[in-house]
Amino acid sequence: MTEALLKVQDLVKYFPIHRGVFQHTVGHVKAVDGISFTVNRGETLGVVGESGCGKSTMGRSVLRLIEPTRGRVEFEGKDVLALNKQGMRIMRREMQIVFQDPYASLNPRFTIGQTLLEPMKIHHLHNPRERLQHVYRLLDRVGLAAEYARRFPHEFSGGQRQRVGIARALAVDPKLVILDEPVAALDVSVQSQVLNLLEDLQNELNLTFVFIAHDLSVVRHISDRVLVLYLGRMAEIADSEELFTHPLHPYTKALLSAIPVPDPDAKRERIILQGDLPSPANPPSGCPFHTRCPVAVDKCRQEVPVWREVQSGHHVACHLV
Amino acid sequence: MEKVLEVRDLTIEFLIEERYHQAVQGVSFEIGEGETLGLVGESGCGKSVTSLALMRLLPVHTKVSGQVRFRGEDLLTVGEPKMRQIRGNEISMIFQEPMTSLNPVHRIGTQISESLILHRNLSASKARAQSIELLKLVGIPRAEQIVDEYPHQLSGGMRQRVMIAMAMACQPTVLIADEPTTALDVTIQAQILDLMRNLTAQNRMSTLLITHDLGVVAEMCDRVAVMYAGQIVEQGPVREIFRHPSHPYTIGLMNCIPKIAGERTRLVPIEGNVPSLQNMGTGCRFAPRCPQAMEVCKNEPQEYDVGTGHKSRCWLHAEAGVTSR
Repeated sequence: MTEALLKVQDLVKYFPIHRGVFQHTVGHVKAVDGISFTVNRGETLGVVGESGCGKSTMGRSVLRLIEPTRGRVEFEGKDVLALNKQGMRIMRREMQIVFQDPYASLNPRFTIGQTLLEPMKIHHLHNPRERLQHVYRLLDRVGLAAEYARRFPHEFSGGQRQRVGIARALAVDPKLVILDEPVAALDVSVQSQVLNLLEDLQNELNLTFVFIAHDLSVVRHISDRVLVLYLGRMAEIADSEELFTHPLHPYTKALLSAIPVPDPDAKRERIILQGDLPSPANPPSGCPFHTRCPVAVDKCRQEVPVWREVQSGHHVACHLV
Repeated sequence: MEKVLEVRDLTIEFLIEERYHQAVQGVSFEIGEGETLGLVGESGCGKSVTSLALMRLLPVHTKVSGQVRFRGEDLLTVGEPKMRQIRGNEISMIFQEPMTSLNPVHRIGTQISESLILHRNLSASKARAQSIELLKLVGIPRAEQIVDEYPHQLSGGMRQRVMIAMAMACQPTVLIADEPTTALDVTIQAQILDLMRNLTAQNRMSTLLITHDLGVVAEMCDRVAVMYAGQIVEQGPVREIFRHPSHPYTIGLMNCIPKIAGERTRLVPIEGNVPSLQNMGTGCRFAPRCPQAMEVCKNEPQEYDVGTGHKSRCWLHAEAGVTSR
C-alpha cells in the first residue's frame, strides 16, 4: 500500500508572457512553482485550490501534456521527463487523464465505440477482433448499455458523457488516472453517481487517482490524502481526516471555513479573506499568501516559508505553525 | 409578515419544434418583507426561467400564465412602460455570469449610473458621485478609479460586486439573485454572501435567491422551495426543510452531497436522469427515479401540508395532510 507509484519533485511550469511586435518575453506566469509530492499505489491524492492556483497545470505537466519548465517526475522509478516521444507514448498507457468538460473532450464525429477503440488501436492492445468485446466490457463497467457504442456524444447527458470519458481513460488499463475536476460540471444527483463509480473502479482495478477539484466536500469524500495549493505553491498536505479536522495553514483554515454547510443550525466561525487572489504573473514576495493572510507578520513578507513536516505525513509551509 | 411578492400558478411554456412544452408548471410562492426565499434545484428544473418570467424577460413565443402580484398589480398583465419603471428600480436582478451580464464596452460608472439617471432623474455628475458611493458600499477598493474602468479590468469577485452595486442602485424592494456565487471561488463566495446578507438586512429587502447549493440555502434563506422538473415539490421554513425533509427528491438531494464533517459514508445517489421537457410523462414527475414510488404515483399529486407552512407534492403525504389549496 505504501509503495510509491508517482513521485513528483520540485515541478515548475512558467508560461512566458510575450509582448510587442517582436514578441519579446517580458515576464512569466508562474503557474506551478516548485511542487513535490508522492502518490502511493492504490491511494487517492486530492489536490485542491482556487482558480489559478496551478492545479490543472500541475496535472497536465505530470503527463507532459504541457511540457514542464523543470523538475522531476518519476513513475514506478522511471524518469518520465527524460523519455523521448516514443517512450512517452508507451508511458501514457500507464497514466491517463479524465477532463472536466465531458463534452469538449469527446470527439463529436466519433461514435462512443470509436472513441473507446482509438486508445486500443494506438497502443496495439488486444486482437483487433476482440477489441469490440472489450468496448462492451468497458461500457458495462462504467454503467452504460452496450448499444450506446453506436451513438454519438451529443445523444448523451453530462453524466453519461463523463462515464464515457472515464471508460476511455480505462481502455488501456492504466495504473494511474489523473482526474481533473471530473464532477464539477455535473448536478449533485449525477455527481454522486460518478463519485460512487470512481470508488468502485478504484477498488476493483486497484487504480491510483490524483483527484483535482475545487469542491472541498467532494475532495474530502474521495481522497486518502489532500494537497492544498495556493498560487502555484504548496500550502499544506496531510491525510484527509487530519487536514479537515486539524488544518494548520491559515489558507487551509480560511478555505474550510468558507464552505457553506448544509445545516441551518451549524455554528459558523468564518474567516473571511480580504481581497482577491494576486496574479501568478507577479506573485507577492515571501509567503505568497501574506497579502490575504489574517495573521501575517513581517517575516511573511520577506521570507518564503520552508516546507516542513510538522507531524508524520502532515507538511505545511507557514512561518507561524 | 406582509407579502411583498406573490406568485400564483405560474406556468411557462416554450415553443420547441412547433409544439409548446411546459418548462414550469403551477408554481406558487410568496416572499414577505425582508425575507429571503431560496429556490433550489438542479439544472433544467425551471428555477432561472421562473425568475426571468417575474421580470418579464422571457423571449417572445413563450406562453406565460398565472399571476405575479406585486404592490397590488399583476406583473404579467401590466403594460411595458409600467414594467420598465419596475425593472431595476423596484425589482432588480443579479445574474450568475458577471462577465456576460456587464456590458464590455461601457465603463463601470456608466453602467451603474444608467438606472440612477433613468429612474431617479439624477444628473450625470450626481449619478457618477452616487456610483462611487455604491462601489464603496459593496466593498470595492479604489472606487474613484474603478468607476472609470471597464469590466475586463476586474476580477470575477469584483465584477459580481459591481453587479450587486447596480442592483442596489435604486434601493429595490425585491432582489432576484440567480446563482450569484456559482462562478466564484469559495473564499470569494464567502465575501459576496456576507455582503448580500448585510445589504438585504440593512434595507429590509425581500430576496429570491436561486441556487443549486444547499449549503448556500442553509446559510442565507428563511424559507426554501425545492423545484424538480418545473414544479415546486416541497417548500417550507429552512429549518423544517433541513431537519424534516419530506419529499423523496429533497431527501435524495440531501443524501447525495458529500459532507464536509463527520463520518465518510458511501453516497446514496438519485438513480437516473432528470426527464427532458419533451417527455415529461404524466403523474408525479419524480416517480421514475423515486425509491418509494407506488401505483398511485401515476396520478398527479397535489401539494399537501406536512407541517406549519411546510408543503410537499407527494402522494406519501396525501393522507397525513389536506390539500393546501
